[in-house]
Amino acid sequence: MTKRQVVLESISALLIMLFLYASVSKYLDFDRFIGEMNNQPFPNSWTPFLVWTVPSLEIAISLALIFERTRMVGFIASLVLMSLFTIYAVTILLHFFAYVPCSCGGVIRKLSWPQHLVFNLFFVVLSVLGIILQRRSSFKSIFITKNSFV
Amino acid sequence: MIMTLAIALSIGGAFATSPRQSQDCQGATQYYFNGNYVLAGRIGIDYICVTPSSSVCTYYKVGTTYTPCMWGTYCTANCRASNPTPKKAKK
Repeated sequence: MTKRQVVLESISALLIMLFLYASVSKYLDFDRFIGEMNNQPFPNSWTPFLVWTVPSLEIAISLALIFERTRMVGFIASLVLMSLFTIYAVTILLHFFAYVPCSCGGVIRKLSWPQHLVFNLFFVVLSVLGIILQRRSSFKSIFITKNSFV
Repeated sequence: MIMTLAIALSIGGAFATSPRQSQDCQGATQYYFNGNYVLAGRIGIDYICVTPSSSVCTYYKVGTTYTPCMWGTYCTANCRASNPTPKKAKK
């Protein structure tokens, strides 16, 4: 196992821990999650859709990150989702909405919104790093495969 | 190996920090204080805790004592207005 592979596995593991922890926490206390979703400053009619989509998406990303073949998709999806969460945290902090709701999801709910923003940014950076390293190692493996045919 | 550890830690961590398992105060009945301790209702439906705030939003009961649980300003809607009014869930 090369150094790059170890770093890639570690980044994937951190992202898996985040998404799997967040999704399982939501399912374990689903009633509270519904309440917290209603607490967010968008229409409550979105709640039935969001309470199923968000945790399912988090589990799907975790699964994609586990397997080498789907890891790139996992990193990209992780970047998109974490960027959306980050933009949301920024809009909350800028008082874009009428009120500031709670920040939610297992022990993550204990973070304040500025802490939440830093936390999200850290995982955005990890996802970007994952994409870069995964691309490089994919190119490398293609190059090695091509050369082995020559 | 790393992946197995990550999966085990995240699922185990979620169970360990689940309110039902850890007796997290937020899993208990919540009260707010307005001179007396009153039932707070359901978070997100009957009230929200507006942050940042250094005041106690809700309390929970440990024996006969009311202990601070959630921080923020207890608010039922229009929460940035000076005199908040309830935010009701759409049925």
